[in-house]
Amino acid sequence: MLVDALKSEAYRVSRNRTAVFFSVLLTPLLFIIGGVAFHIITKTKGDALAAKASLPAALGNQPVNLAEALEFAAGNGANGVLLVFMLLAAASVYAGDYRWETWRLISARNGRPWLLLGKIGVMKALAMIAMLAMLIAAFIFFISQAVVAGRPMSFDLSDFDLGQFLLTGLLSYIRIVQYGLIALLAAVVSRSLLAALFVPWALGFAQSILGGPLTPVIGWAPTDWASQLLLPGLAYDTLKAAVSPGPMPLPEGAVMKAIVSLTLWCVVPVAASIAWFQRQDLSKE
Amino acid sequence: METVIEIRGLTKTYGTVKALDGLTLSIPRGGVYGILGPNGAGKSTLFRTLLGLIRPTGGEATVMGGRIGDPAATRRMGSMIETPRFPPFMTARQVLVWLGYAHGGVPIAEIEAWLKRVGLTEAADRRVRGFSVGMLQRLGVAAALMTKPDLVILDEPTSGMDPPGIQEMRALIRSLADDDGVTIILASHQLQEVQRVCDRVAIFNKGKVITEGRVSDLTASGERLRLSVTPLARAMGVLGDRATLDGDALIAAVPRAEAAATIRALVEAGVEIEEARWIGADLEDVFMSETGWTGVQGTPVKGADHAG
Repeated sequence: MLVDALKSEAYRVSRNRTAVFFSVLLTPLLFIIGGVAFHIITKTKGDALAAKASLPAALGNQPVNLAEALEFAAGNGANGVLLVFMLLAAASVYAGDYRWETWRLISARNGRPWLLLGKIGVMKALAMIAMLAMLIAAFIFFISQAVVAGRPMSFDLSDFDLGQFLLTGLLSYIRIVQYGLIALLAAVVSRSLLAALFVPWALGFAQSILGGPLTPVIGWAPTDWASQLLLPGLAYDTLKAAVSPGPMPLPEGAVMKAIVSLTLWCVVPVAASIAWFQRQDLSKE
Repeated sequence: METVIEIRGLTKTYGTVKALDGLTLSIPRGGVYGILGPNGAGKSTLFRTLLGLIRPTGGEATVMGGRIGDPAATRRMGSMIETPRFPPFMTARQVLVWLGYAHGGVPIAEIEAWLKRVGLTEAADRRVRGFSVGMLQRLGVAAALMTKPDLVILDEPTSGMDPPGIQEMRALIRSLADDDGVTIILASHQLQEVQRVCDRVAIFNKGKVITEGRVSDLTASGERLRLSVTPLARAMGVLGDRATLDGDALIAAVPRAEAAATIRALVEAGVEIEEARWIGADLEDVFMSETGWTGVQGTPVKGADHAG
């Protein structure tokens, strides 16, 4: 039953090229275009400054290490731009049946929980594809840097930490999926495509404000239970800091609080959506 | 009589409105079963309840031996409720593939066969956003039937179709029932269509069944005697309130068993009978009589109270 629901949703999403393009491909494409433009401008300005001061090129023939693209992509997999555009896919997948009035067609063919879980599975696959596209974009970014600057390329893995790469990538992936699950709950409760799009966006925006300047104002430390539970972005940052330790050690218990927070932010929307959906009148869409 | 649907005291309320009011009905396996009723009679609510789209407020029902909403039973059903809608970016063929996947997969050859059977082969690769209502109906019927269901529920299946399309749909419904053994339940406002295609009907009003039976029995019970007589006034005097004027003839509501006695009474009263013949009631007459609606301005004329 779940396999059927997955196949069905994956097929439909694959036919919705607009949603796939904007959610999965646009951010990497913008990153590539912006990156190439950045390298060209930097090169032009750098050459002009060097010529004016009669200095040698700043980086000379130092090779561009393409292996850095791996760490860059894993660390920036859940960047804000990608999260916002992934909401387009989330809204289409989770709220499409309300928008197109197709629940009455599809719900008679499979169990309701399986249909929702199938949608979640497809969104997870889209998140994975988006991250792979970001990885390819990161490679192109580094290659374009070498080409524009006329520098050699290398692929030096001597400083590469595979465990750190995988954990950072996993965290980025969880962050994208968790963000989409808010869209799921918003879609099921409101039956609205726009709500599925804007509720997570508005919630994320509010959380980013609270997590930034406001948390100290209202007296919360970033690693308090309240901060971690209410602001999954902070929990995500905490776990990222744990995976890539910086100079400041994390307070004791912070990692546990962050894991609990992200787990709840993933499990509660799914459970609430399924419970709500099971009792929902699907004849009015 | 083996049944596919057993309904006992089914109730569905929306606020203070009772869409289904203790509805009780058994629908036999096989054949085509019509559900008739004026707007708001509860037909669509019943269909939506049987398909598990909405939960009943009270009562109980079994569909194909399972409870309402039981996925195992629901998967053996096909349905088209009102004009179906589809994702606008998909083509007709893609819609059927997509719905087929959700149901466990339907071979592409069968999908092609259904596209042909509902006359959409040439439009198979067109996006459904440009489809007419009739084309959406055809696609909806293909979607309902392609999984080879044992029970099919069709709500206004010919709505928006042109006359040839209606004929094709009628033939398709009959062939599914007669050749494939599928039980079909349909609701339609086109009573002539229902009379032609259905074996049995139930007439709903205000959330209840007010009449149920074989179409032939229901229409036979409404048979009347058409009499061309002179003088009309004397004949009217003999027949009393059993007769109504129809141009220069009389329509007498007389059972067959009493026909001979009635004619004898007219002759004995000096009425000259030029012609006497039976005219059958059609389903429209039965519908109007049972629901108490004129069908013209929606004004109740008689018998409306006994429905509620």
